[in-house]
Amino acid sequence: MTTDAELDRPGPNAPTAVEFDGVTKRYGETAAVDTIDLAIREGEFFTVVGPSGCGKTTTLRLVAGFEAPTEGSVRFGGSDVSGVPPEARDVGVVFQNYALFPHLTVGENVGYGLRFSAPPGGVSREERIETLLELVDLPEMSDRDPESLSGGQRQRVAIARALAPGPDVLLLDEPMSALDARLRERLRLQVRSIQRSLGITTVYVTHDQEEALSVSDRVAVMRDGSVVQVAPPRTVYRRPASRFVAEFVGDNNVFEGVVAAEGVTSAAEDEGDEIRVVSVDVHDTTLQVALEEGSAERAFDDRAATGIDTHGAGFSTAPRPGDRVVFCVRPQHLRVGRAQNSVRAAVEGAEFLGETTRVHLTWNGQPLVLSADEPLAGSVTVGFDPRDAHVVEHAASDGADTS
Amino acid sequence: MLTAATVAILVIVFYYPVGTVLIEAIVVDGRLTLAVFTNLLRDPFYVGEFARLFTGEGPVAVARAFAAPDRRLGIVGFTAYQAVLSTIVSVALGLPAAYILARFEFPGRQTLRSVTILPFVLPSIMVAVGFVATFGRNGTLNAVLSAVGMPRVELMFTLEAILIAHAFYNAPLVARVTTAAWESVDASAVETARSLGAGPLRAFVDVVAPQLYPAVLTSAALTFVFTFGTFPIVLALGGFELATVEVFVYRLARDLQYAEAAALAIVELTIALGVLFAYLRYEAATAVAARRVRPLPRKSLWPDAWTPRALFERAGIVTYAGIAAVVFLAPIVSMLLASVTTADGSLTLDHYRFLLTRQQTGAAFQVRPWPAVRNSVLFAGASALVALPMGVVVAVITTRASRGRSLVGAVAMAPFAVSGILVGLGLLRGLVFGVEVAGWRIAVAGSAAIVAAHAVAGYPFVVRTVAPGLASLDASLVESARALGASRARALFDIELPLVWPGVVAGAAFAVAISMGEFTATVVLATGADAYTMPVAIERFIGRRLGPATAMGVVLLVVTGFSFLVIERLGGEVHDY
Repeated sequence: MTTDAELDRPGPNAPTAVEFDGVTKRYGETAAVDTIDLAIREGEFFTVVGPSGCGKTTTLRLVAGFEAPTEGSVRFGGSDVSGVPPEARDVGVVFQNYALFPHLTVGENVGYGLRFSAPPGGVSREERIETLLELVDLPEMSDRDPESLSGGQRQRVAIARALAPGPDVLLLDEPMSALDARLRERLRLQVRSIQRSLGITTVYVTHDQEEALSVSDRVAVMRDGSVVQVAPPRTVYRRPASRFVAEFVGDNNVFEGVVAAEGVTSAAEDEGDEIRVVSVDVHDTTLQVALEEGSAERAFDDRAATGIDTHGAGFSTAPRPGDRVVFCVRPQHLRVGRAQNSVRAAVEGAEFLGETTRVHLTWNGQPLVLSADEPLAGSVTVGFDPRDAHVVEHAASDGADTS
Repeated sequence: MLTAATVAILVIVFYYPVGTVLIEAIVVDGRLTLAVFTNLLRDPFYVGEFARLFTGEGPVAVARAFAAPDRRLGIVGFTAYQAVLSTIVSVALGLPAAYILARFEFPGRQTLRSVTILPFVLPSIMVAVGFVATFGRNGTLNAVLSAVGMPRVELMFTLEAILIAHAFYNAPLVARVTTAAWESVDASAVETARSLGAGPLRAFVDVVAPQLYPAVLTSAALTFVFTFGTFPIVLALGGFELATVEVFVYRLARDLQYAEAAALAIVELTIALGVLFAYLRYEAATAVAARRVRPLPRKSLWPDAWTPRALFERAGIVTYAGIAAVVFLAPIVSMLLASVTTADGSLTLDHYRFLLTRQQTGAAFQVRPWPAVRNSVLFAGASALVALPMGVVVAVITTRASRGRSLVGAVAMAPFAVSGILVGLGLLRGLVFGVEVAGWRIAVAGSAAIVAAHAVAGYPFVVRTVAPGLASLDASLVESARALGASRARALFDIELPLVWPGVVAGAAFAVAISMGEFTATVVLATGADAYTMPVAIERFIGRRLGPATAMGVVLLVVTGFSFLVIERLGGEVHDY
């Protein structure tokens, strides 16, 4: 079983299953969702991730039909569903708290949706229930009471129930949050493989960025009601569109500085290839950051899908001396003893995480974090490859934001 | 759709009739006028020294007049005064009960807790008869006093008797609401306070008490509203000497002075709604989401060690139990006793025999027992069938709908605060006497109007029993059902109602009990019509001697209790909700 979502994800040419066109949802004065555009492809595992209160659950409820947009429209396969009630949308919903009907048995729960539509594939109701319970690995459980099941089992029943009528879209609202860490990891692999085997369009909402990266074909990062980036997990991780994404998804070291010189050619330390870099002054130290080439494939990919530029890679205009930039370097790319781009930092403490040790440093009052094999002490020299630095913000010296 | 039907019923059987009565107060001979009002507000007979305000004197003069020993309260003032005193007595009697129910463990605690709802649904006219049997000249109290050689007391037609009867009704309400709040105090909060250095008393004052205030205030506000609009109790125990607004509205209406009756009813309504509105605002501001808590551990009623504190506490409980027994049991026991004894104390079945004779030989204009029983049962069944769906719909709207829920809540709960006399009058003049709609004269039978009035009186209880269950259901249950293809109504029937079924059954039981005990609106509507019920029959019988009234009271008690049992059997067990 492949766990790497990106290997066989639906391509950019797959038809759009669910589309958000300038959707805003206001509660009184506050906009829970603020003018968002999304295009979720058929068969895609699409994850919406963000801190609590960012509007991700509202986004899911707009798809389900529990909320109606204040402005804009939600479309299923091209037709506007704004006025369509949830029961007429062919969606399956799984909630964090399972929401199993306590007065019905497991089998009756799974079969509830079949009271309103015939089971897909011409099978009988009983056969459908049996198939679904086998799919979620709970055969022979049909007559049990939901109360007698464990949390993980209940969640699997909830998934079977949502899938039973053969919905067009499966919606999962933080389905793992109430489970313990080990169970969560197992269940998310199971969900992913069920999704893959059925090829069902899936929208998954979570606040857990690790979960989002591990299961998704594409990830939408939300903040304050807006979508700030839509991209495959690797892109979100490697080329975050903003400082917020850089800091929200995984650990990161963020540097703010001013461009000192542009277009310098530098030899990469290990390989000898020549790369184009800019020099950035940070805390009176000059650091070199590679000028990234925008990837044509990626640009097409994300732009076509969402209508917004979301990969935010590097400089969109040539940097000039005096421009302000923010760039980031992942902890594993900050190496002890590396001469290039080196700074001297004081060790503040270390966390032993099993696989690795996370070392906390300060450099001119700025916290840094790096992954090391063993704890460090005193003060150390750390450096990074210019190509591992990723620019997330770029403002021209005249104040215009050009990134 | 259901919502629209509910609103339509409310408009037809409540808002329209009440509106027609209110309009009579300001439209006299086809002209809009406030004269009836101004006359009323300038009359010290109604508003006491406040009349000075409306005749041009300043607030200082009013205050001075109230400070004077010969101050006049007026009917409205007296009504408010007795309502405030009733509220104080009810809270004083209810809080110890809440303490015992919330903090002690003893056999029968659950039952006792459930029983606290009973006084509230007991027919008020029956309770009044019970109190007459207790406090009357030949009542049980005087019998006991003379048996032990003490002088007789005269409590009939005194304020004290009214206050005790009001406490009978409302102290259990205070106990009930406060107990619920006390049980939802999280033990961890108290333990945290203790670990931070607060003693038991200090922890109570700082942590527990603030969580009880809202409950006490809630029950106090409701008690005020109920006792402000009191009717049968005062009619039976106070007579016209201690008349409240409601009694006077009844009297004015009986004398066909509809404009004055309506104006007085408006003054009453304004005050009651004002209190209710202030309370609802407060409730909205302090409402906290229901959460699962670890309740405080209960103490055993029989302590492990007889420390002075434990001894003191138990002595208090025993004293309280004695008082409670007198207040709550005496009226019922006295009524039962009085129905089988003669004035000189010997056993007799004469009173029941009277009922039988009256049934067989009563003249057409006389109230006979069997039609009263039959009417009561029929009206109760019919009004429950109307009240149940109405109550369920209102409960769904107030717990689920995001838009307009507070408006619907207020509109739907208004009948709680509106006097039964007003509803009865409105139905009588609006629907029974007939209305013209597009050239058609529409009139309903008196019995249909009674069913409508009873449904209006009963459905708030259905709301109260169903709404908490609905509120505790996770919204995602309904959302799951809808995503699976169920319509909103279907989700209500498939998911919500089965899960709150005990509350629905309890609501049905209340609707029936309220209908059987309803007196105020019924007495207005039953006049003229042959549609009298058991409570009306009791009131007619009080006029002559107490005996037949108590016998009829026992019949009412038996029929009401039996209906309760039947509903419970039909609907499954009624849990404590």
